Amino acid sequence: MKRIYLGLIALATLAGCNQTSEKESGEKKMVIGVTMLSMQNEFIVNVSDEMDKKAQELGIELITVDAERSALKQIEQVESFIAQKVDAIVMNPCEVEASSPAVTKALAAKIPIINVNSETSTKPSAFVGSDDVESGRIAMKFIAEKLSGKGNVVMMHGYMGQAAQIKREQGAREILKQYPDLKLIAHQTGEWDRAKSMSLMENWIQSYGKDINAVFAQNDEMGMGAVNALTAAGMKDKVIVVSIDAIPDALQAVKKGTLDATVFQNAQQQGAKAIETAVKLYKGEPVEKEVLIPFQLVTKDNVATFIK
Amino acid sequence: MNNYFTQLGNSTKQRARGMGQYGIFIAFVVICLILSLITPKFLTVSNWTIIVTQVSINALLAFGVTFVIITGGIDLSLGSMVAVTGIVASLLAHPDDYPVIVPVLAGLLAGVFMGAFNGTIITKSKVPPFIVTLGTMTIGRGLALILSKGRPVSNLSDSFNFIGGGSIFGVPFPIIVLIVAFVVCSVVLKKTILGRYIYAVGGNEQAAKASGIRVNKVKMAVYTICGGLAALAGILLTSRITTGQPNAGASFELDAIAAAIIGGTSTSGGTGTMTGTLIGALLIGVISNGLDLLNVTSYYQQVVMGAIIIGAVVLDGWNQSAAQR
Repeated sequence: MKRIYLGLIALATLAGCNQTSEKESGEKKMVIGVTMLSMQNEFIVNVSDEMDKKAQELGIELITVDAERSALKQIEQVESFIAQKVDAIVMNPCEVEASSPAVTKALAAKIPIINVNSETSTKPSAFVGSDDVESGRIAMKFIAEKLSGKGNVVMMHGYMGQAAQIKREQGAREILKQYPDLKLIAHQTGEWDRAKSMSLMENWIQSYGKDINAVFAQNDEMGMGAVNALTAAGMKDKVIVVSIDAIPDALQAVKKGTLDATVFQNAQQQGAKAIETAVKLYKGEPVEKEVLIPFQLVTKDNVATFIK
Repeated sequence: MNNYFTQLGNSTKQRARGMGQYGIFIAFVVICLILSLITPKFLTVSNWTIIVTQVSINALLAFGVTFVIITGGIDLSLGSMVAVTGIVASLLAHPDDYPVIVPVLAGLLAGVFMGAFNGTIITKSKVPPFIVTLGTMTIGRGLALILSKGRPVSNLSDSFNFIGGGSIFGVPFPIIVLIVAFVVCSVVLKKTILGRYIYAVGGNEQAAKASGIRVNKVKMAVYTICGGLAALAGILLTSRITTGQPNAGASFELDAIAAAIIGGTSTSGGTGTMTGTLIGALLIGVISNGLDLLNVTSYYQQVVMGAIIIGAVVLDGWNQSAAQR
């Protein structure tokens, strides 16, 4: 028992020291806790880098952690941010439902929480990101116009059931409905993965061959896989391939003309706006509840402006 | 003593030949027959070229893990080794960087080193291979991310991309690699002393030790070979998708282990053949290709794939017990 008391006293003294030192160094630096869906994903890494840049510019300290696609881990990370008494939290949610408790907890602790890139069912203090349905619409619209509204399309899904997969499919199907002569002859998951989608495309070439007029892949990795398979089969000239994200590889492919189009999701804007919104909320300034960053279609004509 | 060992080796070899493969081979033929009846697109030269190309990566991993499983071990770090070796190779494979042999050798070396690392920890620490390779699986994934800074490595040279994407006399290069690897692995397992030792260690480790086999050296060898084959698979994959990806190969170990087990390799060690493993890998490839050709929804694909894997092994089990009677 004595030991516990001693420990508590030591802790209290330490905490006290900490406070005084903060006061001595003048104005306290704002601290934002950031939890990202997965630092193994190129786009997410880009968003995170942009947040770092913005934070450095504004003199803010970021504590960035990787949830490794686990909503449970993400909730624990937010709990630890709350315990550390950070000034604001930026969360790139792993899942719509399962990451929601993190939002509830932060709001209960009166710490502003901003969702970046994807949503949770519980509404946070603010949302910064893009509407994935729109990206699906843009991509399928491009195909429809290229084919003059008539032809056969195949679609590669991401992981079935993920928010991005559901929304990109929804957007694509909305456009398909408007063009009755545009037929979806096959759709299958490529699991966001280049190797998987390359095999899938090879198999589709075997079963549908020249009937395929266009490919819509829900991300660039899969689009590049489709391009590889079509090129190997000598069919690339006759088939349109469109995907989403505008990763550097895809931009190069659009420049070369092997990928017909990609849809640019603005990592720079998402990252910067998330931090800006967090600062405003911390200072008690008014913010928009939903900051929507628009998608942009990238084709050979405008690709140069997107290549850094 | 030597005589005793020869007997032991022979008996395990006979067991391997007597029981395995035929059941799975029949299942394989039956599934191919059904698919070719349902869709005319299945039994064509071009489709089979694609199936075998697609299978090559999993088959290489499966050959490696077959050696390991026969000794009674397991290697869960296959997928991570694919990622690390792919990243190492791709980092050195930019155009005008080095001749293509440099990235290939560097990738192979990385794989051999990681395999040897597995082998060293397993033989020195006596910690079960399952746990050691579970650890190196995570370490490997981390290394791949560190080396690549979490981003795909692209812009690879044409000569490097030939490995996974090129053909010689119309035969895709991955198929040639697959055939060579199959022949070499089969010879090692069937015709060399090392092969006999591998069966002996898995059949009965104590007996193998008593008959003078240096068990640790054999184990060291199988994990190193396994690492080398995983590197080959990693290089093929990287070249095929023309980019090195830190998250490549995730859960590849499961498909490879499945191929070995479907092919009649017993997880308790001592039995298994390369031919069986090759058929196991082809079976997985054929099912995936066939379901894509038939446009079966991905939800159902997973269910069908699992059911066929279990079915194939059950069939093999019946065949084995019939043979024993």
